[in-house]
Amino acid sequence: MKILVVEDDKTVGQYVKRGLVEAGYHVELVGDGTEALRLATDGRYDLLVLDLRLPGRSGLEVLRTLRDRGDSVPVLVLTAQDAVDFKVQALRMGADDYVTKPFSLEELLARVEALGRRPKAIAAPVLKVADLALDTGSREVKRGDRAIELTPKEYAVLEYLMRHAGRVMPRTLITEYAWDYHFDPGTNIVDVVITRLRKKVDYAREPKLIHTVRGVGYVVKA
Amino acid sequence: MQTLRAQLTAWYSAALVLTLGAFTLALYLARRSASFHDLDQRVQSEADLTNGILEESYRARGVLVERDSLIGDFRGLLEVVPDYLIITDADGRVLFLSQTARELGYQKVEQLADLAKPPLRGRNAGVIELAPDGPRISYVVRFVTGAGPQFGAILAGANVQTAELGPQQLLTTFVLILPISLVTALLVGSWIARRALEPVDRIITEVREITDGRTLHRRLAEPMVKDELGRLTETLNQMMMRLERSFAALRRFTADASHELKTPLTVLRAGVERSITTPGLPQETLATLEETLLEIKRMTELVDALLTLARADEGIAPLHREPVDLRAIVEEARETGELLAEQAGVSMEVATPPEPVVVPVDASRIRQLLLNLLTNAVKYTPAGGRVSLQLGPSDGRVILTIADTGIGIAPGDLPHIFDRFWRADSARTRTGERPGAGLGLAICKWIAEAHGGTIEVQSRPGRGTTFTVTLPRDAQA
Repeated sequence: MKILVVEDDKTVGQYVKRGLVEAGYHVELVGDGTEALRLATDGRYDLLVLDLRLPGRSGLEVLRTLRDRGDSVPVLVLTAQDAVDFKVQALRMGADDYVTKPFSLEELLARVEALGRRPKAIAAPVLKVADLALDTGSREVKRGDRAIELTPKEYAVLEYLMRHAGRVMPRTLITEYAWDYHFDPGTNIVDVVITRLRKKVDYAREPKLIHTVRGVGYVVKA
Repeated sequence: MQTLRAQLTAWYSAALVLTLGAFTLALYLARRSASFHDLDQRVQSEADLTNGILEESYRARGVLVERDSLIGDFRGLLEVVPDYLIITDADGRVLFLSQTARELGYQKVEQLADLAKPPLRGRNAGVIELAPDGPRISYVVRFVTGAGPQFGAILAGANVQTAELGPQQLLTTFVLILPISLVTALLVGSWIARRALEPVDRIITEVREITDGRTLHRRLAEPMVKDELGRLTETLNQMMMRLERSFAALRRFTADASHELKTPLTVLRAGVERSITTPGLPQETLATLEETLLEIKRMTELVDALLTLARADEGIAPLHREPVDLRAIVEEARETGELLAEQAGVSMEVATPPEPVVVPVDASRIRQLLLNLLTNAVKYTPAGGRVSLQLGPSDGRVILTIADTGIGIAPGDLPHIFDRFWRADSARTRTGERPGAGLGLAICKWIAEAHGGTIEVQSRPGRGTTFTVTLPRDAQA
């Protein structure tokens, strides 16, 4: 799948490009709208990642020109504005989705994946670590044969950790994923959720699956 | 006297009454002095005429006096004189009294006759107030020289009151006219003022409608006539143009600042995120990266809050409203509240009505508001305390109540808690916790108001705090 990234800030552009390349996409990076319009012809790309604020032609103009041409390539908009009306404007002009800066690479990848029209079947709906299984479709969690009842936040935290099994996930990212982006509890509410999860998942079981990395966050691994 | 109209009317009327008064006074004085002058003239001419008659008659007939009295046919002739007429002989005895003079009575006639007795004292004209009770008489004395030796003097006099009658009528008329003209002045003045101020009322209405950034492009209709109000309209329009320009500049600035601040944050974040997921890093490095990540998130949040508030000032409410059952949002917040409460050793109660409470709101903003208030409630409630969250509809409105049994807010602080960057002294927060930027409650207030609702607080130090958020059931504002 080929992706054109239109971003004038070189560093941001590079990060986006690297992240996408590492996820297995073919990526080209351009810095301005005119160049983007020149390149994005004849369905050469499967997806555009478009910064709204560009030198010369603004992202909205690029978007409008594309749609006026009858080009229906999916467009993911990057915007620094958290204002809903601005996003709505972009969506009305034919953007397919948006990511607000500063975005996490993970969020960007998730949205790109969603827009990429790849059959979702490839991604396994059941996440597994040792004998712990989490069904992302039915939201059922089992350790061995025993079903585990989880509250919504417990489920969200466990799902996030299991998606990144084996990797240390910082508390900040866990909080962001499981709660509203604007939520800053001022305390490590994640710790409380983890304590509860441990009771439900790891109590009287071996091996322990949820591990603390002090000062950083948590990791789920066998 | 609250309105310009009333003031103008009062001034008009006062001016009219004053003018009328001054005019009447001047007229009265002029008329009075003319009257007195006329009186003098009349008396003078009566004396002269009498003298002339005496002289003529003397020349024609010789003797005019018989047995110390004027002869008969003269009496008849002189009776015609309407005023006081006294003729004395050379020794000062009264030869003749006119009808009017006789009516005065002996005592008063004597006082008059004394003036016409030789030797003559001082002036031969003047005003005398007869004792005991008037009248005041303006008189003139004339010596009779060409009518034989018997005659002494002629005194002609007239009642001063007859001169004052005319001017006094003028005053009476004025007193009668005054209330009528005052009422007329008030009515006409008020009407004129209303006519004149009508455009001002229109300007007020139009300007009032221009409330925020959304309506700032409007202009007042400029009248063709460049009178004072025309110029006022023009000036207001120019002012609004300048305001609109600075609003536009602010909007540009917010957009620019948003971009300029967020791009580096994006770079930072992407870098830290990449690094933190690199396998095999020492734990210390990981902890540092996590701290950095948290700070980046907080900084982003701060930038967002500032931009949101800046945009709110422009009157642009970036809300994405959809009908939502508020119970779902409250239930969602319940778990988070319970988690926070558990950590702080505080108990948590949630009460929602059995029926759905569907309101068109920006769900993510209401969630933010709830979590913000819940976090605060738990933060300021010591272990063992209680935090409660209640949702209840109340005629056309929806009320969210977040109450705690915490340390409360000092009465002096209450009016400021919704101010931006305001924070109570740090003693309020638990030690070791980092205080926020002081924008949380300002954002809560904005969220409530952007939904057309309100947020209120009640607090007693040591007893607890209750925040009450009221939202309208129908979308507005």
